[in-house]
Amino acid sequence: MSRFRLGGVGGFILRRLLLGIVVLILVSVVVFLATQTLPGDPARAILGRSATPASLAALRRQLHLDQPAIEQYWTWVTGLLHGNLGRSLAAQEPVSTLLGSRLVNSAVLVAIAAVVSIPLSIAIGSWAAFKREKAFDVVSSNLLLVLAALPEFVVALVLVIFLATTVFPRVLPAISTVPPGSQPWNNWTALVLPTLTLVIAVAPYVARIMRASMIEVLESDYVEMARLKGLPERTVLIRHALPNALGPVFQVIALNLAYLAGGIIVVEFVFNYTGIGSALGEAVVNHDLPVIQALAMLIAAVYVVLNLLADVATILVTPRLRTRL
Amino acid sequence: MTDISRRQLVRGAAGLAVVGGLAAACGSGSSPGTSSTPSGASGGPKRGGNFRLGVTGGGAKDIMDGQNIITKPDQARLMTAFETLLLFDENYQLTTNGLAESVTQDNPKQYTIRLRQGIEFQNGKTMTADDIIYSFQRIGTKAYGLTGYAATATMDIAGIKKLDQYTVRLPLKTPDATIPQTLGSYTFNMVPVGYKAYPAPQIGTGAYKLKSFAPGQQSVHERNPNYWRSGEPYFDTVTIIDFSDSTAQVNGLLGGQVDAMTDLPPSQVKVVQGRGLGALVSKTGGWLPICMAIDMPPFNDVRVRQAMRLLVDRPGMLEQVASGYGFVGNDLYAPFDPGYDHALPQRQQDISQAKSLLKAAGHANLSVDLHTTNGAAGMVETATVFANQASAAGVKINVISDPNFYGNQYLKLAFSVDFWGTRAYLNQVQQGSLPTSPYNETHWPPKSGTGSNFESLYTQALATIDPAARIQIEQEMQQIEYNNGGYIIPFFGGLIDAYAANVKGLKPSKGTLNLDSFGHGFRTIWFG
Repeated sequence: MSRFRLGGVGGFILRRLLLGIVVLILVSVVVFLATQTLPGDPARAILGRSATPASLAALRRQLHLDQPAIEQYWTWVTGLLHGNLGRSLAAQEPVSTLLGSRLVNSAVLVAIAAVVSIPLSIAIGSWAAFKREKAFDVVSSNLLLVLAALPEFVVALVLVIFLATTVFPRVLPAISTVPPGSQPWNNWTALVLPTLTLVIAVAPYVARIMRASMIEVLESDYVEMARLKGLPERTVLIRHALPNALGPVFQVIALNLAYLAGGIIVVEFVFNYTGIGSALGEAVVNHDLPVIQALAMLIAAVYVVLNLLADVATILVTPRLRTRL
Repeated sequence: MTDISRRQLVRGAAGLAVVGGLAAACGSGSSPGTSSTPSGASGGPKRGGNFRLGVTGGGAKDIMDGQNIITKPDQARLMTAFETLLLFDENYQLTTNGLAESVTQDNPKQYTIRLRQGIEFQNGKTMTADDIIYSFQRIGTKAYGLTGYAATATMDIAGIKKLDQYTVRLPLKTPDATIPQTLGSYTFNMVPVGYKAYPAPQIGTGAYKLKSFAPGQQSVHERNPNYWRSGEPYFDTVTIIDFSDSTAQVNGLLGGQVDAMTDLPPSQVKVVQGRGLGALVSKTGGWLPICMAIDMPPFNDVRVRQAMRLLVDRPGMLEQVASGYGFVGNDLYAPFDPGYDHALPQRQQDISQAKSLLKAAGHANLSVDLHTTNGAAGMVETATVFANQASAAGVKINVISDPNFYGNQYLKLAFSVDFWGTRAYLNQVQQGSLPTSPYNETHWPPKSGTGSNFESLYTQALATIDPAARIQIEQEMQQIEYNNGGYIIPFFGGLIDAYAANVKGLKPSKGTLNLDSFGHGFRTIWFG
């Protein structure tokens, strides 16, 4: 990393932010190369059969394909920095208009899934470590292992079959379309199954890491010391063991949440949820480059930010790392 | 895929569906309403409810324009608010139950359209000849790129005249006996003078008025209290919801979030029926031809074309590609056309005959590339099954599924699998089997020898007013294609839709559109 040193957590955050920006710049180059400058004519690929010389020329102008690649890239990136994501080729409206409400919908879903799954998995993992090799640990570990092995769409379809269509029909809605003009929480029953699917997708990994981390901490000298001092078990667990066990778990949580930002696509498809997932799928089919580029950058940014947050959180709960800064 | 589906829809739409005779179009027909009033087993139609329809194939490209469609939900939306002059019924017979009381061919180059009186648009304005003239002019304006534009090629749009408040004279540039089919095709809708596409107000004569529309998501349509057919429609509102995946669609239907859905996967028919829901299986005239370019080797030898046609196990193909939902083809298109030649013997698989034809042509060990793409459902499967069937005769077919199939190589390939929708015979010839056709995969007709008179027969048929005489010419054309043509047409497919148990009034239809032409514009169906 950098030679110059800014002391403390603030300096660390600053350095990580700069690094994040470098990563995003690299990602933007890759996204740009992958979408706009591959061999072949993107304008022709987009228009397909309906291409006419006039429409090809117009689209090339709109995508700035008539400029050199460097200039195209510069136009696109400066547009991004000004919040101008371009115009969707399919919808003929600004990408920000097209994605605005969908972004909110997807963010709500991920946020609810995070709020439910993180405490839940930390609790399950900790408790399993505490009750190591007892009934709770054996049952939860095996169950989590099974759930972790199932792809999201299988989980989603099993939930639908159980709670919406077949076993207990119509307990919950089978699909979760968010009508235009309304918010996801206006029809909260429709959020239950997609949220549950995402929780099941994320919680097993986090809980297993939490368990492993907690077991390690519980066997450490300082926990033994705390117990020998006669501290109540509650205090030992919550004050001494938990903060130290959380460090590595933050990284896993961050990776899983970042994964959700992309992995939500499958869940949105199964539930016909009105989010960025279905928009991305459709944009790929439509060769809608501005939408694909915007979403790719967005998901990359989510990864960078979540990793940054995880690093900061890890540092904050780990005195050894904190003092070394 | 979107390019393909657009092409499919456009071609289907320009397809004018399958003919009722001209006589039906000229006759008085039955009075409006009577033929369309459904007779439910469990009592008559009831008013009320919000009919929620799940449709796949839509997205950000969704539009609402009374005379244009891009995606499948656009088709459904079109049917809520807009109507045509003539109307196809569920048996694909042309009727005068539409906005016109009659359409008469005065001579080969002139039609007279008489409007039904007292029909009001959704804004209360009475429909008159001026609106009809505006509607024709709008479709006929090339720059607008509307679906029906290609079908106006023979019309002298500039020469349309208003004879009186309710009568319009339509002159033609060249004779065209297929005008009534054009007037019944579902995008040839009548709109008021000054009409523009969404986001302008959507005012038609139809049963429902647009309330809200979010492309890629849903549109809501409210009952038109002023609708001209008495009693109809029955729903208070119709909601058309976009789905990106048929799994979610089926789950939504089973879970009660939608009341009907388009394009049920064949594998789900039994599932849906087992749950007490309805599956609507309609045998349509849609087809997936294996196309041989008659001027490119090895298919420039007619014996090779005949051999290929003998290699197909048609019932097997129907079963494997379409789960048996459809009917076997005979290498001729437009099976619902009154002129379809049913007398020609059904072609069967005959491996030994095929082998000897290939041997005679000097292609005993033929090996050839068959191009297609994952476009309309069943295209790749048709190619693969055919390759498998042909191997019985030692013919090696190498299937190439190319995502860029509809790029520069399209229509220049010797051997390909494509798709077409329901269409009347002469309309289909115009679209795919003439030197001037936009999508002529087989490079038909031959420039010399048998079949070189095909185009002049077509022109002659268009100019023939007497249906019997015209059918005779059409059958002569079909015989040439049956013996020498470049299409292999193994089967005609179907449309399978599904609906909730309480939806009444749906009937299987031979039309291009799903769900019995979307419940004839959502007006002949109701909640029982």
